[in-house]
Amino acid sequence: MKLTKILMQVAAVALAGTATVSSASAQDTIKFGMCYDLSKSYTFITPQITQGARDLADLVNMKGGIGGHPVEIIVQDHGNEPQRGIECYEKLKREGVFVFDTLSTPVSIAVLPRIMKDGNILLQSLVGRGDAVDGSVFTQVFPVGPTYWGQVVNDIEYIRLQNGGSLKGVKVAFFYVDYPFGQEPIEILKTLAEKEGFELGLFPFPLPGSDQGSAWTQIRRFNPDNIISWAFAGMHVVAAKEMKRNGIPISKYISVNWLNEKDIASIGAEAAIGLKRGTNVAGGQDVPIIAEIIAELYDKGKGNGDRAALNDVYYNTGVAMYSAAFEAARLAVEQGGFPVTAETMKAGLESMVDFDANGLMAPLTVTAEDHGGGGKTRIDMWDGKTWVGQTDWIGAYTDVVWEVVKESSSKFKLE
Amino acid sequence: MFYRQSGVRHNSYSSDRDLFPIPADRYALWFFLALGIAAPWLIDGLYLNSYMLPWLLWTAAALGLNLLTGWAGQMHLGYAAVMAVGAYSTVHAVRFGIPWEFALLIGGLSSSVIGSLFAVAALRVKGLYLAITTLAMQFVMDWVLNHSPAISGGSHASLQSPTFALLGQDITSDAGLYYVALGWCVLVTIFLLNMRRTGLGRALVAVREKDFAAAILGVNSFYYKIIAFATSSFIAGVTGAILVATFYFLASPEQFSVNVSIQVLAMVIVGGLASIIGSYFGAALILLMPGIVNGLFAGFADMVGLQFGPETLAHIPNAAYGALIVIFLMVEPMGLGKIYGNIRDYLLVWPFDQMKK
Repeated sequence: MKLTKILMQVAAVALAGTATVSSASAQDTIKFGMCYDLSKSYTFITPQITQGARDLADLVNMKGGIGGHPVEIIVQDHGNEPQRGIECYEKLKREGVFVFDTLSTPVSIAVLPRIMKDGNILLQSLVGRGDAVDGSVFTQVFPVGPTYWGQVVNDIEYIRLQNGGSLKGVKVAFFYVDYPFGQEPIEILKTLAEKEGFELGLFPFPLPGSDQGSAWTQIRRFNPDNIISWAFAGMHVVAAKEMKRNGIPISKYISVNWLNEKDIASIGAEAAIGLKRGTNVAGGQDVPIIAEIIAELYDKGKGNGDRAALNDVYYNTGVAMYSAAFEAARLAVEQGGFPVTAETMKAGLESMVDFDANGLMAPLTVTAEDHGGGGKTRIDMWDGKTWVGQTDWIGAYTDVVWEVVKESSSKFKLE
Repeated sequence: MFYRQSGVRHNSYSSDRDLFPIPADRYALWFFLALGIAAPWLIDGLYLNSYMLPWLLWTAAALGLNLLTGWAGQMHLGYAAVMAVGAYSTVHAVRFGIPWEFALLIGGLSSSVIGSLFAVAALRVKGLYLAITTLAMQFVMDWVLNHSPAISGGSHASLQSPTFALLGQDITSDAGLYYVALGWCVLVTIFLLNMRRTGLGRALVAVREKDFAAAILGVNSFYYKIIAFATSSFIAGVTGAILVATFYFLASPEQFSVNVSIQVLAMVIVGGLASIIGSYFGAALILLMPGIVNGLFAGFADMVGLQFGPETLAHIPNAAYGALIVIFLMVEPMGLGKIYGNIRDYLLVWPFDQMKK
């Protein structure tokens, strides 16, 4: 009797749709839909980012929510498949979600036409097509944070500053995984090389990234002053090994933001001293908001996951992404009142001025034109224990970046 | 009892060649077709366009691959690449100003040409070697898409599909898009149902069973293999194009990557080689099961009061889904289509089957 009842309930749930996990379930909530890849390619970041977002949501709700209304984070897995991402979008859309975040380039590209058509909001920090920062074309898309183009020019600016303000005669190697993610910065690097007069060498390596031998032999011959690396997760570990083998000091290595404490541990915390990383988020736990989360949630045993996962710059990234999202919602409630709609949320995002989540990230100023918020980053160095900022937040060569953005976004036409 | 054979008499050759000699099969078919046509009124838009529509289109794709793998016995691990050719050529043709009807034809034909050109080279080898050669085709296509912005619309970018239109009529409503998918799937199904009883179908089966035995019988195995590649590529190309036009609304390389090829092959194998109804079941299992198992598991955890993190909730259903495929194939290695066949065979003689024992 009881078993049949349970079975019937299970069947009812299955018919009702697919899995969702929610932190709060009141009716008057502000909902954020996270269609994430929790099981396939992006699992090196999604657990930490999800944990950060849910912790921040709990903290905000403990303090009374946004304008008195709790926030609700709905997480669902899409396995990095465009088809399941669309399914997730369509399902959450019908549950009253209008702010979406996919954290996956293929899926954010796949849901883009639907987001634009339905007039919903797509947050795509750090993923997706870079030209989406052009708010005049991609009206509903908010890649808050740096694009890969912005990030790479800031790396070049850092090298320029290190070399006393001139790049003449400096050799820069661009080491990248040979698929769209790695290829994206090439054009802008070539433009800058011409403009600033540094020597650029391109060194691709194939997926899945474990075979980098020939690239590093060529880099050794090229003998660069700095190496900018567009790789992620285990690829950095292989790179560190190859650098050691080729006698290239690791301090020359400037990674894209996709490098965290787990990769450092695999390289060896001591061996990685001097390694650099472009970032828009401060690492470590000395940041006020992270310290507050630890004090209010983890010290009281209320965290949304393993405490050990906190010491990870991707966790800070998750908190940073959702600090910006919640700030936008706060502005939306302030300006347009409750309930928040896609329009007021868009207005809220576009009225964010110099928001840095109390020192957690590069200050963001989002406008109707610039949906990226300025795209500032800085270079952090690993000192053996934590990340140490090497510069102030940099937002260099914005004219060059916007030229590339405009050139690319002008080809986008919604049919 | 349920599939009554009494009263089925063949008075002519054509009636002997009926697709469904038993009335119950025909009624079931009409019933499901009616359900399919009535679906927009019966189910919510979410299920219609996020589950039914992709399911029908992937079924059409699986049927196309089944023609090649199930009937002609040729392995193909680069099927998604062929779909990509069709999708990209169609979208480019439409953007060039050609109406959709012709663009779909162009997509199908270009897939067909590239698919069979490749087959001419690949068919010099057989079996596993052919599988690996077709896999190479997939990688060549991935590389071409990733390295030629003129085709793919730039790195990280995508090719927007213009609004789908047939006979000068823009199709944008949920129901309209669904009917396009349904129409194409039905068309492919009818084609395959009839192909089985033509000379071509029998020649393909002969080639599958033993290609040199077929040659002795006067069936030119190389020629029929090329025909099989061309036909299956045509179906793949048009399906890829319709998928982009009605579901994705844009073409991007990830939609046609190697794991998609493996998924379609899995649909064919789980569904059953050379089984049409199996392709429907296979596509449903591979495509829809992850979501449904996910829902079942989350609901179960919720009910029992277990608190799982989102990651656990994402991983356990994957394991369960994998186990499900293994169990189905262990119970019936011939696939889901055969399981249906077994049930039908049982009901065919029930309740009189006991008399034999």
